[in-house]
Amino acid sequence: MNARRITSSLLRHLAVAVACACALATFGTDAAPLAATLAAPPADAPPSPVKDPHYGDALFHFYQPHYFTALTTLMASQQLGRVAQHADEAEVLRGGLLLSYGMHVEAGQLFTQLIDKGAPPSVRDRAWYFLAKIRYQRGLPAEALAALARIEGSLPAELDDDRHLLHANLLMGGGDYAAAAAVLGTVAKKQPESRAWFMSDRKSRDANEAKAAAGQYARFNLGVALIKTGDLTGGTAMLDELGRAPAAFEEARSLRDRANVALGFAALQANKPEQARTYLERVRLNGAQSNKALLGFGWAAASMKNARLALVPWTELAGRDASDAAVLEARIALPYAYAELGAQAQSLAGYNGAIGDFERENAGLDESIQSIRSGKLMNALLARNPGEGAGEEMGWFWTLRALPEMPHAGHLAQVLAKNEFQEAFKNFRDLRFMTGNLQQWADNLGVFSDMLDARRKAYTERLPQVLARARETGMAAAGERSAAITKEVAEAEQAGDGVALADAKQRDLIERLNGLRAAQAQPTPDPEVAAMSERMRRVAGALTWQLAQEFPAKVWEAKKALGSIDTQLAQAKAHEAALAQAQVDEPARFERFAKRIAELKPRLQALMPRVTALSGEQQQAAQGIAVAELASQKNRLAVYTTQARFAVAQLVDRAVTAPAQTAPQAQAHAQAHAQAQTQAHAQAQTQAQEADRARKP
Amino acid sequence: MFKHNALTSLFFAVAMSMHVAHAADAAAVAPAAPASTPATAVAIAPPAAPSTAASAPAAPLASLDTRIQDVKGDVIRLNRDLLVLEEELLFPANTQVALFVSMDVGKMFSLDSVQIKLDDKPVTNYLYTPAEVSALHRGGVQRVFVGNLKSGEHTIVAFFTGGGPHERDYKRGTTIKFDKGVEPKYIELQIKDSMAKLQPEFDVKVWQ
Repeated sequence: MNARRITSSLLRHLAVAVACACALATFGTDAAPLAATLAAPPADAPPSPVKDPHYGDALFHFYQPHYFTALTTLMASQQLGRVAQHADEAEVLRGGLLLSYGMHVEAGQLFTQLIDKGAPPSVRDRAWYFLAKIRYQRGLPAEALAALARIEGSLPAELDDDRHLLHANLLMGGGDYAAAAAVLGTVAKKQPESRAWFMSDRKSRDANEAKAAAGQYARFNLGVALIKTGDLTGGTAMLDELGRAPAAFEEARSLRDRANVALGFAALQANKPEQARTYLERVRLNGAQSNKALLGFGWAAASMKNARLALVPWTELAGRDASDAAVLEARIALPYAYAELGAQAQSLAGYNGAIGDFERENAGLDESIQSIRSGKLMNALLARNPGEGAGEEMGWFWTLRALPEMPHAGHLAQVLAKNEFQEAFKNFRDLRFMTGNLQQWADNLGVFSDMLDARRKAYTERLPQVLARARETGMAAAGERSAAITKEVAEAEQAGDGVALADAKQRDLIERLNGLRAAQAQPTPDPEVAAMSERMRRVAGALTWQLAQEFPAKVWEAKKALGSIDTQLAQAKAHEAALAQAQVDEPARFERFAKRIAELKPRLQALMPRVTALSGEQQQAAQGIAVAELASQKNRLAVYTTQARFAVAQLVDRAVTAPAQTAPQAQAHAQAHAQAQTQAHAQAQTQAQEADRARKP
Repeated sequence: MFKHNALTSLFFAVAMSMHVAHAADAAAVAPAAPASTPATAVAIAPPAAPSTAASAPAAPLASLDTRIQDVKGDVIRLNRDLLVLEEELLFPANTQVALFVSMDVGKMFSLDSVQIKLDDKPVTNYLYTPAEVSALHRGGVQRVFVGNLKSGEHTIVAFFTGGGPHERDYKRGTTIKFDKGVEPKYIELQIKDSMAKLQPEFDVKVWQ
């Protein structure tokens, strides 16, 4: 064995492992989910009082999570001035929601504005934090560090931990592992109770699990950082502690497996195969890391010159699903072990079987690539992975979980695991969602237009009738009559005798008295007339008394009635004025709405083809990523096939050089050898060509 | 020779599989390409010198990510404007009335549904999903109804059904009379816990 080359390979592996481990630190620092937590309290925290109901309405959608509705209704409420009491919080929420759609530029501008306008320290700190996130994601580490340095300490405790993780990531990215280890140390020492935000960025995760997972991720990253700084003992101890820790839930178990795999391969690098086996045998047999662990477990045995021991894990691994690179590797590692044990025939059969498997796998990959290029992958993924929430809106928690129903779907597991593909697919899904959204608005806008026309028509038809009714009411005549009555009441009040306010009975009595008085005035010899004058005097007196008695009350009632008439007249006049104003305002209002609809329509129509075109472009880009990944799998297969063919040739060579070989056997072996070499050479030549072809969309 | 090949491919395989296993996390923080020229810059050419513009090298097309960000922003802003138009058209401010439902701690009451009558006319009969109940618990306020009302006095009767203390079915009603003026009217129906009475309380808050 060429130890130097193997060491080089091991070192390369370790570098990858460590890089991957560093990447783990980003588990909790994904900006978009965090935005949710920044904008809202954790699930187990009591809600803060809402001062504007429409802000609460946006939160109601946000928590479900219907982010698109939350964002658009929030922005509509902002435009209508209905969230003034939560102006800053609304902006933070909006910025977080924009971030969730990958709109870093606009979100960055928003947070910068929040800072510039002198928001309160708590808002300012969150804005700085977000800006640091955005800058980090956009590859501006120095600017991100500067933003972190501006945080004054008003971040909530749970967010402060995340700030430390981000800080550590930035330091590790800059190669300052010692500082990163120091920063992570402060987080790792903390118990996970203070890290509730981890729960809220994974919808389905239980809060306690998230708290524990956060601490473990921090410890894992610290271990890796320590190893990178050269503190192998400290780093290994940290990872070993994690690798032996009890894990109550899947994420912790998965992380423990990763720690043990990293430790195992680090031990292999250090040429400590026994120790490597100790670490690797802690890995679960059916976890996501099990294939890698089985492979390493076998190679550890091989390093111990114990090929028989290596057969056990490799035999198990070789029988697993061939879509995993470790399994493919095992299919040639297994005949290698047989060859080491001197079982040439089994070895040759194993290599030939592996070559057949690789060729079938290669054909399957070709089919998958063809299928991807035809667009089936993206549509099948959309069908199998609807968005979360009833509205199937775009969302932060959305991830590809289910493989599409396609031939050789197993190949796609690694494609889907790539964040680059996930992000591309999210964009594609967002654009498809927006296509539907715009189409819905196009229909609605037509309805609005029809509605406006109907209102205009109704207004035009009803207006003459209303005006006619208004004319019939005779406002002018009513006013004159009111004035006349007012004058009469004033005269009656001035007269003060109550005659003008007499009721019908009293007026009748007055008239009779007047008639009697007139009759009495005529000269008559009738003695009875003369006798009546005394009775008339008494009746007239009584009537005068009665009128005088009732006069104040009647004046008050008359004035009250007059007041009521005035009020009603004023209301009628106001209605008349409103009607006149409406004749001016309503057409103008209709015009304004029509103008707005006319302005929005071209915007809508211009956006629809843009979204469709970008959707197609994004689909091509995502398909390109998937094809490139499958092409790399094909390349890997080509390498394995080449190695298997060389191994077959070597075995044939050994058989040829064997002393008991007959001439025909030697000729057959020579032919097989030559064929194997030719095929291997051809395979190697096509490898580069296929790689180039595959990268083209 | 063979061992070397096998081991090289081993590490290749392990490196690949390790990479794949962590790729989702790794790429999440991978430095993104700096934003290139905005898409709008592409279409702009000086009208006075078309020949120069034609002969000049074309402006580089903005990155796909940038163009997608732009179009997402445009779609979101359009949605905002359309929502505002829809609301102003359907529910003018002078006649608008909006009813909201909120929940305080909600330990005493597990909300199932709410029925609301406005001036004796049923306007909503809403069944809640667990996600909606959770959103209310976390501080969300649901705009359960929005409509139009004439100026004057009106009456709302709301019935809440759900599980009360000791897991018993619970139904409570609350009534409010209010005056509708020319401003929009926002009324919040609040579900609260009364620790003193060990039962839920239903309160009404008139915002304006």
